[in-house]
Amino acid sequence: MATDENLCWLLSFYRTSEIGGALFFGQLARALRPSAIQRDMTRHFADEAQHARYWTECLERLHLQPLKLGQSYQDQYVAAAGLPVNLMEVLAITQVFEKRVVSQYALHSRIADLEPEVKETLQRIMNDERWHIEWVRDALKTMEADYGEGAIRETLTRFTEADRAVYRKIAEEHDERIDHLMLAQR
Amino acid sequence: MNIELNSRTHIKDRMSETLNQSRDALADDAELTSLVNSSFVLVEMIIDLQEELGVRFTQADMQDVSTVGALVDLFLEHGRR
Repeated sequence: MATDENLCWLLSFYRTSEIGGALFFGQLARALRPSAIQRDMTRHFADEAQHARYWTECLERLHLQPLKLGQSYQDQYVAAAGLPVNLMEVLAITQVFEKRVVSQYALHSRIADLEPEVKETLQRIMNDERWHIEWVRDALKTMEADYGEGAIRETLTRFTEADRAVYRKIAEEHDERIDHLMLAQR
Repeated sequence: MNIELNSRTHIKDRMSETLNQSRDALADDAELTSLVNSSFVLVEMIIDLQEELGVRFTQADMQDVSTVGALVDLFLEHGRR
């Protein structure tokens, strides 16, 4: 089982990133004109805010205090990938990011001796994340006529490369904290 | 007032509203990142203005844009296309 300090950091990191996602999508939901995308983005940001709540409650149940962390995953992401500046780029970066989240949460859910509170929270969030990936994928499909299938594919590839770079960097910086997650894979 | 100056004024007015900054803060040489606490606020503003003005640009277009003036020029340039 992870040490309390490492677990607290990791769950706080998840929480901070969910808050970052909620704030970002909330701002976009506010800015968009009425449309199916506006509707789905509104639901998306509400989900992310709930996820931040779930992590907060999970930490409480484990008698841990959420840490105030400076940078969310999204902040580092944007630094690596650059700011998205149109709706297609926003959805593309969202798609890549959400896939990373699901992958990370799935990895975490498989570690041995996982705290039941953490396992339950991961499952709960992953159920929502599946819809997040689906609606964004469908929205990007509707944009192909406008932006071009090639441009969307190229954008997704570029953001995927940025995601891999950010993930590697975070893993290296915090290898001791998340090392036990990798051990579960062996 | 010519059309371009009017558009420039309109764009800056909208930026002022979205960024919650006074018009004085939006000098042409003001760095965009200095106007916000979070870069996501810039994303919101840029997408909102694209929707309003019926223009679209990509990250590639924004590569050399770091100031208010450069961003306004980009909107005007794409508006003329």
